[in-house]
Amino acid sequence: MTSTILRRIPVGIGIALCAVAIAACGSDDGDDDSGGGFASGLPVEGAKKGGTLKVVSASDVDQIDPGQAYYQLTYLVTSATQTPLYAYKPEDPETPVPVLAESDPRVSPDGRTVTVKIRSGFRFSPPVDRAVTSKDVKYALTRGFFPSVANQYVQNYLGALEGTGPVVEGDTRELSGIQTPDDRTLVLRFTTDIGATAAQALVLPASAPVPEEYARRFDAKKQSDYGFNQVATGPYMIRNDAQGKAVGYQPGRRIELVRNPSWPGAESGDFRPAYVDRVDWTIGGNPTVIGRQVLNGRDMINGDTVPAPIVKQAATRSKEQITFTPLGNRFIPLNMSEPPFDDVNVRKAVAAAIDRTRLQLVRGGKLTGKVATHFLPPGSPGFEAAGGLEGSGHDFLAKPEGDMQLAAEYLRKAGFSNGRYSGPAISMVGTEDDPGSQVVLDQFRRLGFRVNYRSLSQEAMFGACAVPARKVDVCPNYGWLPDFNDGYAYLYGTFNGKAIAPQQNSNWSQLNDPRINAAMDRAARITDPEERAEAWGRIDDQITAAAAAVPTYWDDVPNVQSRNVRGVIARWNGAWDLSFTSLE
Amino acid sequence: MAGYLARRLLWVVALLLAVSAITFAIFYTLPSADPAAMRAGRQPTPQLIAQVRENLGLDQPVYVQYWRYMRDLVLHFDFGFSYQSNAPVREQILDRLPATLSLTGGAVVLWLAIGLPVGVISAVRRRRWPDRLAMGLALVAISAPVYWLGLVALYLFADDIGRFPLLPGANSYEPISQDPAAWLGSLVLPWLVLAASFAAFYARLLRANLLEAMSEDYIRTARAKGLPERQVVLRHGMRAAITPIVTVVGLDVGILLGGAVLVETVFNVPGIGRLAYDAIRTADLPVIQGTVLFGAFFIVVANLVVDLAYAWIDPRVRTA
Repeated sequence: MTSTILRRIPVGIGIALCAVAIAACGSDDGDDDSGGGFASGLPVEGAKKGGTLKVVSASDVDQIDPGQAYYQLTYLVTSATQTPLYAYKPEDPETPVPVLAESDPRVSPDGRTVTVKIRSGFRFSPPVDRAVTSKDVKYALTRGFFPSVANQYVQNYLGALEGTGPVVEGDTRELSGIQTPDDRTLVLRFTTDIGATAAQALVLPASAPVPEEYARRFDAKKQSDYGFNQVATGPYMIRNDAQGKAVGYQPGRRIELVRNPSWPGAESGDFRPAYVDRVDWTIGGNPTVIGRQVLNGRDMINGDTVPAPIVKQAATRSKEQITFTPLGNRFIPLNMSEPPFDDVNVRKAVAAAIDRTRLQLVRGGKLTGKVATHFLPPGSPGFEAAGGLEGSGHDFLAKPEGDMQLAAEYLRKAGFSNGRYSGPAISMVGTEDDPGSQVVLDQFRRLGFRVNYRSLSQEAMFGACAVPARKVDVCPNYGWLPDFNDGYAYLYGTFNGKAIAPQQNSNWSQLNDPRINAAMDRAARITDPEERAEAWGRIDDQITAAAAAVPTYWDDVPNVQSRNVRGVIARWNGAWDLSFTSLE
Repeated sequence: MAGYLARRLLWVVALLLAVSAITFAIFYTLPSADPAAMRAGRQPTPQLIAQVRENLGLDQPVYVQYWRYMRDLVLHFDFGFSYQSNAPVREQILDRLPATLSLTGGAVVLWLAIGLPVGVISAVRRRRWPDRLAMGLALVAISAPVYWLGLVALYLFADDIGRFPLLPGANSYEPISQDPAAWLGSLVLPWLVLAASFAAFYARLLRANLLEAMSEDYIRTARAKGLPERQVVLRHGMRAAITPIVTVVGLDVGILLGGAVLVETVFNVPGIGRLAYDAIRTADLPVIQGTVLFGAFFIVVANLVVDLAYAWIDPRVRTA
């Protein structure tokens, strides 16, 4: 999962969409925190089985192929239809548990080998309908490197597997870094000591098995169409015909999930109860109309972002129909690769001046998130070590409403004797529908900055801010959803110098501090969860101290349900878990 | 007539070629995200981007890409694959076409059924209360943004979120092949909303044309011959007044077959307009190209039909 940009929530790009949607909500008072009483979104004992759950979303999934899926929305489908090696239980976003795997992964002492044992009992849905073996997991991970599949995250987490180069080049389909000594054992061999982090990434849907003998012909095309012919290993499957064509998926229109007759259920060790018999998912329409349909209707849940009027309506009139889930963060990256933000004092001045409470207000108020004091959000490993809600006491983040006096002091330290910036103009790219961008623009101007400001669509903003050659100084609408709940997934892509890429760059600050890079490399090797969380918490504090970006907001994602739905939220994803949700 | 038809058909082909070339040029000229980089994901290696670019054929010069696209289109009626979903564009368009045809067809019938009688009544009862009422309402209907009108219709009359729950609302569309009654019910509100501004426009247009026609000498002659007023209006006045309406109907139908984006979006009717809108949002060139070509095709064909009808009615047009 990624960011506003990288991992897309059903409206645009990544969390960006979430950002947009919430921004669009722009509450009038922002103080309508009615003190709880909202639906918990937690699993309930003894829920009723049967019925048809209706999902409505304005947007479609990104890719229906589990080996390509990347959006938050798409994970609603993959988590119900596929069985990855590991997964998070909906109520616990911190501890992955084995699903297809039999036990926790074993990481070798040198961090270069990860061994996973898989369970017996899982089968592919028709028409393949055979037992899953470790070779199917190997093929699933390998195909992520095929240019015809081009999975969006395997390069980041599993790119250090031995022998990926020839696979990416299309010279071979055999990935030498994955071995299957027998049908139940999978051995991953890496060229670096990244095993501890790679093991965490095995919660992602790319680790769900794919039968090579069936998928090969689809993957051999220039663009794989396995997604339209996929088979399932989870409790549900996309309705298909006898040849395996997923006729239940019509892009941009509808997704129909039915029970997978080959799923072994609890006897296999799978923890998913799969209450409803069927899921009918309608795609398209106006988000506010959709929200009203969910609140007024029966059997329905939202698929994508809930707009502000609906959040407000539900939060005030029908609290039991709305849940809020902490997920992801937002910040304002400051381009450190050139003046003026190569000067730490200028960055601290900006951080001191930004009124984060105002940003919170225009983006939906207290219901939709908390003012951030650092980057790791509540519920993520390392949050407490980084200072918890209060932060670790950096003066330039001490006042959420902004501190212009302190900002002036820092500007004086940076050489601006009157405490106002008087250097060359800076460039800023915001998004059309984000009132927060305007707020940030105003605050830069108050500090004396002359700003060449452009307001673009989400996609165009990403095209500008994610390409370092475009030399954008400030991009005020940035957010991040991690691919899995770990400091690495939050901080490596966004603040490690090695992650700076000429295109699709996610380190928008272009922070490249050898000390921080080295600390990340060390933390990535740690296997002990507590020690690892502590290490990433310290790194978070180092980044905050460097003022590489201004942390503004930790999101609470709203989701709505009809009165007769007992919705369960997958907290790691901030979205419904279809396998746990039931009807009254 | 055959020569005229041949000339017009050649123009159709030339126009479609021009439209496809312009769409291609716009996509490559205006700044947009690089499809290969987007497809390759976060922090992609240059090696992966290059492989994806090669796979999508984006490593070739633009004119080669255009040539290949047109070749596949002409020889195999193949519009390529969506960058976004990997789905074949042809299947997506054909999948959406019935909804667009349904929406357009019903709306045309409705706006003609409402607009023409209202136009005639307004012209015949000029400056009396039926005329003033009809033209006042027409002004409101023309001025109301379709998207807003759609939302108001839903909040008032949709059976799930409406104050007066009368008709199926958004997300209720069913193909006619699956459930004709549900199909009919689901389209009543979209038809009414889409037809509202068109009916108003046609009523005003017909009123103006008819008033002009009714002041002509041949109308005076018809009255002098003692023909009933009804016959004067409908047989003699309407015949002259309706000609411009035929032209405009042809164009409007062509445009709507290319997609009634707003109505399709508000009511979630899965038509070509919504497909095009989604594709534009995600810089999905093959789908944009396919939907633009389809839209252009319908407009050009509608124009052709209108021109042929003219040529048939008035031989002077053929030689012009």
